[in-house]
Amino acid sequence: MDAISMSRVWREPARLMVFLGVMLIAPSGWALDVPPLTGRVVDLAHVLPADVAAALTRDLEAHEMKTSNQVAVLILPSLEGEPLESFSHRVGTTWKLGQKGTDNGVLLLLALRERKVRIEAGYGLEGTLTDLRSAHIIRQEIVPRFRSGDLPGGIAAGVQAILGTIEGTYKADEVLSGHARSGQEPTAFEYVIIGIIVGTLAGIVLSHGLQGTRALLGSLLAFLVAQFASVVLGLAAAGVTAFLLWLILQANRGRGQGGGWGEGFMTGPGGGFGGSIGGGGGFSGGGGDFGGGGASGDW
Amino acid sequence: MGSRISVFATIAITVLLVGLSGCGYNDLQGLDENTKAAWSEVVNQYQRRADLIPNLVVTVKGYAAHEKDTLEGVVQARAQATGIQVTPETLKDPAAFEQFQKAQAGLTSALGRLIAIAENYPNLKADQNFRDLQSQLEGTENRIAVARKRYIEKVAEYNKGVRYFPTNLTAKFLLHMEEKPNFTVADEKAVAKPPEVKFN
Repeated sequence: MDAISMSRVWREPARLMVFLGVMLIAPSGWALDVPPLTGRVVDLAHVLPADVAAALTRDLEAHEMKTSNQVAVLILPSLEGEPLESFSHRVGTTWKLGQKGTDNGVLLLLALRERKVRIEAGYGLEGTLTDLRSAHIIRQEIVPRFRSGDLPGGIAAGVQAILGTIEGTYKADEVLSGHARSGQEPTAFEYVIIGIIVGTLAGIVLSHGLQGTRALLGSLLAFLVAQFASVVLGLAAAGVTAFLLWLILQANRGRGQGGGWGEGFMTGPGGGFGGSIGGGGGFSGGGGDFGGGGASGDW
Repeated sequence: MGSRISVFATIAITVLLVGLSGCGYNDLQGLDENTKAAWSEVVNQYQRRADLIPNLVVTVKGYAAHEKDTLEGVVQARAQATGIQVTPETLKDPAAFEQFQKAQAGLTSALGRLIAIAENYPNLKADQNFRDLQSQLEGTENRIAVARKRYIEKVAEYNKGVRYFPTNLTAKFLLHMEEKPNFTVADEKAVAKPPEVKFN
């Protein structure tokens, strides 16, 4: 952590919590840490020529624009003793590839020293990118090229086969609108209900203040006024509370969606995972989940 | 008197609201639902595995018909495993859970032996159908591992809710919930290592 990113960590309370959480959890029991998500192609072993990596990134980005599927490639020098399947699942769920709700993420993971490769398919793509299809892609597209020494060619062919397979599963605009609907956003009706509950409580409390006045005056009229006032105050408080809640949630929603979609133009806060720290690339997972689907192979 | 009544009303509403969120009634119900959902996924994946076995047995038979013991072992273990139905309700019964566990573990080891004999039959190993079934089996074993891991996490959360104060009071006296049995570490070791994949 250099000084710049540290100061960023301290400025963002949410990120600070994540940072502290990772500091606490990460060292316990895991041999290999999940690398930060710096882009759609994370080549830690430096086997991809820059132009191939750039072309892959462009393809993957165009694919997400069209289908909302998030596909990422991770090339590791070594697994350091970690089982391939559990590590791959951990990377997928940590990076949260795929959109929330549709879980349409795919990870292509390579471990050079172990000569192992795995396709990890998100829950929502298990129907099209089946275990069998994944195994075929590894056997027919990836492994033969790797065996003849062409790592970049094998990766590119594997990615193309994956994209071709999952092409028609989702459409970006459908997922986008479905995403908005499935979000945890209160409806206008819920605002009013919350407002009435909070407002009534506020009204009761306020009316007690007025009842002090009633005791002083000691008259029935004051009692009635107090009761009436409590109703009026309650309704007024309900309205004000509902409006305030709406304002707060509107403000939050803007940030939340930036985090969810994180598509490059969100460079600052709300960028969710990794992407914004790496600068430039600005790619982050959309909140997808993985259930262990996919296939493994070696070369 | 109006003042006293509304004071009481205020206190009552406050106590009710705080109580509802504090006693954990909804939390416990949610945790219970989560364990059931996670369990369904476990059963689902085991079922998927069982569905793959008849084809696998037929394919192996085609190349290694005289490996009768191993083949029959798999068929029997499958029958035993699919004969036990564990619904979310019977999950509370540690004995039934244990039985389910044992049957599935028996099938896992029988399948392990079946895959191991394939090493002795190069023609079987090269058979496209066998390789496809093997990939699917490996994929399913991996999903089982993931589903079990998630179930373990959900049951741990649920059991905490049932044991920790003050939600344990709600669990005990209001909902009559008890701790649920979980997969043990010994089982985990047995399934943690995914079968070896070789595309030679």
